[in-house]
Amino acid sequence: MKNALIVNNLTLSVPSSKGRVRVVDDVSFDIPAGTKVGLVGESGSGKSLTAYSLMRLIKDPVRIDKGEIFIGDREILGMSMKEFRHMRGNDISMIYQDPMSALNPIMRIGAQIIESIQLHSDVNHAQARKMAIEHLASVGIPEPDRRIDSYPFEMSGGMLQRVVIAIALSGEPKVLIADEATTALDVTTQDRVLTLIDKLAAERGLSVLLITHDLGVAAQFSDEIMVMYAGKLVERGSVNQIFSNPVHPYTKALLDSRCDYTIDVTKPINSIAGQPPRPDNRPEGCVFSPRCEHVQLQCREGVPPLISVQDRLAACFRADELYQVGMVH
Amino acid sequence: MGKFLIRRATSSFIVLAMSVVMVFMSIRILPGDPVLAKLGAATEVTPAALKALREEAGLNRPLLVQLFSWINRALHGDLGVSYFSQFPVTRLVAERIPVTLELTFFIIVIAVVLSLILAPLSTLKPGSIVDRVIGYFTSTGLSVPGFVIGIIFILIFSLQLQWLPSRGYVPMSEGVAENLKLMILPSITGGLTATPYLVRYLRASMLEIKQSPFVRTAEGKGLSSARILFRHILPNSLVPTLTMLGLIVGYTLSGVVVIEYMFGLPGIGSLAIESSFKRDYVVIQGVALTIISFFILTTFLFDVLCGIVDPRLRLAKEQKSEV
Amino acid sequence: MKFKSRFSFSGFLILLILGICLAAPILSPYDPNAIGVADSFSGPTGSHWFGADDLGRDLLSRILYGGRITILIAMSATLIALIIGTLWGLTAGVRRGWVDEFLMRTADATMAIPQILFALVCISAVGASVISLPIVVGILLSPTTARMARSAVVTELSADYVVAAIASGTKRSRLIISEVMPNIAPQLLVQLSINAAAAVMLEATLSFIGLGIQPPNASWGTLMLQGYAKIWNTYWFVFFPAMAVTITILAFNAYGERIRVTMDSRRSSI
Repeated sequence: MKNALIVNNLTLSVPSSKGRVRVVDDVSFDIPAGTKVGLVGESGSGKSLTAYSLMRLIKDPVRIDKGEIFIGDREILGMSMKEFRHMRGNDISMIYQDPMSALNPIMRIGAQIIESIQLHSDVNHAQARKMAIEHLASVGIPEPDRRIDSYPFEMSGGMLQRVVIAIALSGEPKVLIADEATTALDVTTQDRVLTLIDKLAAERGLSVLLITHDLGVAAQFSDEIMVMYAGKLVERGSVNQIFSNPVHPYTKALLDSRCDYTIDVTKPINSIAGQPPRPDNRPEGCVFSPRCEHVQLQCREGVPPLISVQDRLAACFRADELYQVGMVH
Repeated sequence: MGKFLIRRATSSFIVLAMSVVMVFMSIRILPGDPVLAKLGAATEVTPAALKALREEAGLNRPLLVQLFSWINRALHGDLGVSYFSQFPVTRLVAERIPVTLELTFFIIVIAVVLSLILAPLSTLKPGSIVDRVIGYFTSTGLSVPGFVIGIIFILIFSLQLQWLPSRGYVPMSEGVAENLKLMILPSITGGLTATPYLVRYLRASMLEIKQSPFVRTAEGKGLSSARILFRHILPNSLVPTLTMLGLIVGYTLSGVVVIEYMFGLPGIGSLAIESSFKRDYVVIQGVALTIISFFILTTFLFDVLCGIVDPRLRLAKEQKSEV
Repeated sequence: MKFKSRFSFSGFLILLILGICLAAPILSPYDPNAIGVADSFSGPTGSHWFGADDLGRDLLSRILYGGRITILIAMSATLIALIIGTLWGLTAGVRRGWVDEFLMRTADATMAIPQILFALVCISAVGASVISLPIVVGILLSPTTARMARSAVVTELSADYVVAAIASGTKRSRLIISEVMPNIAPQLLVQLSINAAAAVMLEATLSFIGLGIQPPNASWGTLMLQGYAKIWNTYWFVFFPAMAVTITILAFNAYGERIRVTMDSRRSSI
């Protein structure tokens, strides 16, 4: 399967009292065409920044230090901004966390979609308007011919997120990034929006990168899961595998700490002892080692690379044995 | 839209009423006697004669009575007669207002045009040389008194280069070119006084909007910086700026008084100054009422404009629609 | 409140200006009112650094002495604005309710009157003097201070630790003195600077149109008025006082900006 997106050795840094420190550290992955990948991690893990790099929306003081990003077979970090702008919306698109603030408050939503349509295809205003109404219908907005002239504040969060999706897909991109796209919505709406994205992705052969800190959402939606911690990619596998047998100690701890109605209320909640390290305070060796219950000497001496373990990738020296242990249980 | 208008109108009216009353009272409460001023120090004045004159002028009545009587007459279009020249104040004002209006109009146009050029240039690349130069210009502009700018222009353009006259006025009806020649320097002076404030405010507003999430969405769509600036950032910055512009007008009116005097323009500003010298309180009252009303009307109009530009302000009562 | 002792050029400039004006009697080469017909209309020369006016009076000396008057008036006005404004704002912020409404509406109304016009009205009634000018200008500048003081007080009083203190019985008046005032002090200082700049500008403008300090006393504005009449042959009459006024205003504005920037960076570096 061809890759819709390839990321090699992406590294981002910010200034700190100790000079520039990495917030995204040597991250590499690829997304095959038509796949839905969930990128999970805590706040500060670098997942959002990784996503923004894909759209080249990184602004000072954050800087991309090195890395390559291929969308289709074009490397985008080396391109001129002028060239890349054509790709935004056309080849890769993004939807954001808070739909209400993601839209220009004093511009009608129709105008905002039309703006995108006319940017990516050569149509006149009347045709663009027709297309806009069709797009609105395709994302499930009732009475699109009326709604097209509404202002953002006249619509609810769920509807607005659909509008944002419509705008994002109006240029017919191959890759869609959803940055916490459902976090600001209530659970029912969340479900509806995710279903919508699912449907649209299937219809159009989209690859989707869903960024979230919500494991449930990731599980429901994705084909594959990537886990990030403190700027590094620590595990990747299909959603079933990861949830049934997490290999990386962090992933395992994360899954163990979930709370739902099935947990035993008499026992204390499993949380991971300690805190994720600040970017200017990263430990030597494996970044998770201070909090890992399987830590060994080698973990503090070298950084574990992302290695292939059976059916997945994990960044742990003890990945093999942990995998076996997990399979047994 | 109706409710919004009514709210704003009431608010404006209250402020108008309060400020007019303040002016009226100040003249009467503050020590200093207009009647004495009229008589001048030359004549020997007996207390009886003084009292008689004051009664004649109605200055002996209780303050509130004076206030209401004046307001009553003002509402009928009668602003009294000049204490010195016996001209009806309304006529004086009506004769001179077109000059002031013309000047104010030019000043505002110049200030707005300059700001709409300088502020976006500044925000295109914050921190760049362009931005910094504009910043220096703004800081200096704020600190130079308006009349100093006027003096500088007169020195250069009237004295050295002899291109433009420095005093006088010719109404449009007698010659557009003549009128414009005489209005250029005063208008530019006024415009340059107001521009720094406007640029500063607009720039700050635009920079703030630039951080908004929807600007990021616009970038994500693939729009060019210029388009984002003019189609998304600027309109959103206009709303708070329009309010500021209303204040700028007020500030300009203040400056207009000095500019008219400097450049010999017969507007109501110079009328105010002339009557101040003579202590002609009747004229001062009338002029103050006119200027303040004009200012408050303009602020009100700008508020209405805000409502037009920002639909949220007008339609805030609308129901949110269902998912 | 100690600020980093990094050198502030504008602060230094202000002190310099204040110092020079204070030391006018020592520094000026001539008596500012001394008439010397022989030198009249001379441009900047060795014996008259800034030139001499139509009556042969040395301009440098006149500027030095004129500065005294301008600065005196401006500083008094600023002080008056500070006192009135702070009391105004504090009362409104503490009392709230209709007192607050009324006081703030009055502030709005005062600000709605174009400044020069207001000054015109008052000066025409009481006449211009070293006493009346600071009072009038001070009153003019107080609403902005009042606004600022009020919002600062309201913000401070709603801070958690203050609410807690009030809840546990501390008297509000004590709190205002011990907690609120120190916290709004830097903002007041900024306002003070800005007001000083505005006061200098207002005084100069009023004197320039003849409604300020009258001859033979001369503030910088009055000097410019006299100079303006003779501008055709002798531009320097006007030029030097204009420069003095502009530089002083610039210094005050810059200083105020600097404090504000320092304050902001302090606040956000937590």
